[in-house]
Amino acid sequence: MWNSGSGKRSKGRNSGHRPATTIDETAASKMFQEIAEESDPSVAGMEGICNLCEKLDLNAEEDIRVLVLLWKLGSKEKPAQISKQEWMSGCNKLQVDSIDKFQSILPSLDTGFLDRNEFKEFYKFCFKFNLEGTHRTLDKDMIVALMKMVLTERIAAERLDTFCTFLESQKSYTRITLDQWVSFLDFCYECEDLSTYDESTSAWPVLIDEYVDYMEEQQNKK
Amino acid sequence: MSNASQRIIPLEEGWNDEIKAKAIDKLEALLNGGLDSGQASMFGPREYVQIYTTCYDMCTQRSPYNWSRELYDRHGQTIERYLTSNVLPALREKTGQGGTILLRELNHRWTNHQIMNKWLKKFFTYLDRYYVKHHSLPTLSQSGLRRFQTHVYDEMKQDTTTAILGLINEEREGKIIDKSLIKSIVELYESMGMGTLDAYNADLEEALLSATREYYAKKRDFWINDSTPEYLVKAEEALNEERNRVADYLNSSSESKILKVVEEEILEKVEMVLLEKETSGCRALLQNDKSEDLQRMFRLFSRLENGLNPMASIVQSFISTMGDDITNRRQARLDGGEKDKNDDPRFVKALIALHEKYLGVVKKDFSGHSLFQKALKDAFVEVVNKNVGQYTNAELMSTFCDRILKSGGEKLSESEVEETLDRIVQIFSYLTDKDMFAEIYRNQLAKRLLNQRSTSNDAEKLMIAKLKMQCGTQFTSKMEGMLADLAVGSEQRTEFEQRMRSVDTKLDFSVQVLTTGFWPSYKSPQVSLTPEMSKCMGVFKEWHDTKHQKRKLSWMFSQGNASVRGTFGKKSYDLQVSTLQAIALNALNDGITLTFEEFSRKLNLDHAIMKPLMHSLSCGKYKVVRKTPPGNKINASDKFAANAKFTCNMRKIRIPMASLDSSFNTKRVEEDRSIAIEAAIVRIMKARKTLQHQQLLSEVLAQLAFFNPNPRVIKKRIEALIDREYLERSADNPHVYNYLA
Repeated sequence: MWNSGSGKRSKGRNSGHRPATTIDETAASKMFQEIAEESDPSVAGMEGICNLCEKLDLNAEEDIRVLVLLWKLGSKEKPAQISKQEWMSGCNKLQVDSIDKFQSILPSLDTGFLDRNEFKEFYKFCFKFNLEGTHRTLDKDMIVALMKMVLTERIAAERLDTFCTFLESQKSYTRITLDQWVSFLDFCYECEDLSTYDESTSAWPVLIDEYVDYMEEQQNKK
Repeated sequence: MSNASQRIIPLEEGWNDEIKAKAIDKLEALLNGGLDSGQASMFGPREYVQIYTTCYDMCTQRSPYNWSRELYDRHGQTIERYLTSNVLPALREKTGQGGTILLRELNHRWTNHQIMNKWLKKFFTYLDRYYVKHHSLPTLSQSGLRRFQTHVYDEMKQDTTTAILGLINEEREGKIIDKSLIKSIVELYESMGMGTLDAYNADLEEALLSATREYYAKKRDFWINDSTPEYLVKAEEALNEERNRVADYLNSSSESKILKVVEEEILEKVEMVLLEKETSGCRALLQNDKSEDLQRMFRLFSRLENGLNPMASIVQSFISTMGDDITNRRQARLDGGEKDKNDDPRFVKALIALHEKYLGVVKKDFSGHSLFQKALKDAFVEVVNKNVGQYTNAELMSTFCDRILKSGGEKLSESEVEETLDRIVQIFSYLTDKDMFAEIYRNQLAKRLLNQRSTSNDAEKLMIAKLKMQCGTQFTSKMEGMLADLAVGSEQRTEFEQRMRSVDTKLDFSVQVLTTGFWPSYKSPQVSLTPEMSKCMGVFKEWHDTKHQKRKLSWMFSQGNASVRGTFGKKSYDLQVSTLQAIALNALNDGITLTFEEFSRKLNLDHAIMKPLMHSLSCGKYKVVRKTPPGNKINASDKFAANAKFTCNMRKIRIPMASLDSSFNTKRVEEDRSIAIEAAIVRIMKARKTLQHQQLLSEVLAQLAFFNPNPRVIKKRIEALIDREYLERSADNPHVYNYLA
């Protein structure tokens, strides 16, 4: 049954409604050591993370649950990594300290469980996590790949497909900002039917206006 | 006069023997018989007093012999009887004999009634004093009047009105009618309102308005086949006529109502038809400069509410078309092979002429009415911002000014200059991209000032003042700065001249100091100066630095002029050249020949500058330098030497050189625009803290005076500011922005 702790309550949300129990901190810490950077053991970079993914039988390049996991663990400070501190508090929050326990929470990492607001936070995280170095924008191709991974099943397939095609075909934007990334999602929520789109009242980034133009053009070609 | 022993007058006796016989019957007889003498002689004083006294006595006798009530009643009945048995039948008889006859009879009877009323009141006056008041009854006069109203007026009013209307229509058709008769009858109607105009309005005016409407509707259908000016003349006449009619014999309160009906029928209902007639409508009148007709049209349609709007619309589109013609002519010239330069005085002059013409038309024919001023403005805004060819109209206009302001340009008198500049500024005011004009103008101004090619400093100041008045101080601050630099510079130059006197040099040297920021940016090639030049430069630098320690000097060798004495054989010439040209010429002294490469290295100038430099000296009109091999192009293999065989008729020669700097910088303007937009956004958001997208857009556009950006351009600036964390999108509504302090 549950591991009833010595009166210590762990803070934060659990993925289930179990009463707070403590994890085996040593075990969790050891797990981290296995994936930590050689040059800086307080941080686990992509190499280590991929390592972990392999153990969990997750495809780091294509499986969205990897990102969800990292998000839930609490990677915040820097992209493409998770710090020891974040790891430890994350493990506590998720109540995991072994590969088996990680395996057991994998089903809960489906984005379907997230409501709109939660998903939006996660969606933002996806962008930020993938930044490189001091860059504040993401490369267009990366965006397309990421978008397909994150938004499939979350927004209409046609919208997603056409937008990605548009991004790939147009020439003026090679990099995408966080504002454009987030606005796209809000735009999808607010405007499901493009014929209702009114540029004069909408504050969406010009990228979106150009997408609507593109769709109109495609429509006229038919 | 009452006597205590006076006998009591019985009712019937008093009535029949005295009142009826002596007063009423006599009165009626007089009236029926026609009055040939004045009313005053109807009853003499004695007669009157007697009758009056009888009434008085009968009304003051003690009860039950007080006959007040009886007398009052009988007064009314008498009148009533007379009206119904005498007056009304007479009137009915006249109905059907023609309007004038009926009206005359009515007038006569009304006059009579007024007399009767007056005398009866006089006789029975005592009743008015006490009995009437005591019993709150109508006075004798009122009672009389009411009876006339009920028994005569109400019975006759319909026929009377018909008669009047008939006569009016006859008069409209040109016949002469008895106006004073109608006037009297109208006064009857007025009186019948018992202190109000109700009777007049309901019984006459209403029908008159209907009849008027009907009449003019028919006229309109008839006239509408005329040309518009002809129609309008008739319309104006009709309105004048109707106004006069009211003044002649109707109540003045009818004027506005009648005119309104007429206006509705003959103007309002056919306004568009009239305006749009093919050969005679508004457009045609404008086309053929029919000033008087346009004035009439304006006068008439300004009477209608919103009557001028369709006219102004036509005027606007007409002026627009004329403007487009001018633009198309320019296009045609370009298509036909004319060189596309930044100078097209024909085009600019045509625009100015068009503007002047229609400014005059608006003032004269449309009384300067604001709707038409707006029409002119809107038309010109449309025309002026249509660019054809490579160069924008902003540039063409600026170059036009350059022509006027530079020496060797158009030859105009001082007043002509002022007038022309004034007019060009008016056209300028219609430009959307005023900042572009400013940038180009500034560049051209700089060229004029630095090369001393400006005709008159006063003219330059004048133009800048006009621009300032149009756009504000900020717009012209750099230009004014440039002029200020030169003004200050001339003082400094005198001082420096003193300093130069003590320097051992044959070079007559002076320096113009410019404030960076006011002037366009110039190339500054680090050319190798002649020793003399370096020396002088050093002297200046030293002198300058002692005066202004904090200022840093940068030398612009691509600018600057020199006067060089060139001696070719026996003849000498004064050559006006640029600094770089002077250095090049100096290098070819003493018969030296240089190859292009050598030259380039010696002067420390790269090929991009060497080429135009050498071209100006060896391939232009005055070939002071001989190029081997000769030709019109400078090649890296060419050799150069002084042209010993050079001759010219003139002693003083100016050798122009192609400008090394581009005429102006579009990028600069675009950058300034981005900055201006962002500054506006931040300013607005700081004040409002939170603002919806649409509102932000419109407030930004309102703040930008000198250009009109596309909303997407503004959006991009907003995105940039979001990225730099000046603003954020609101979490609740992505179409709302919050200011981030």
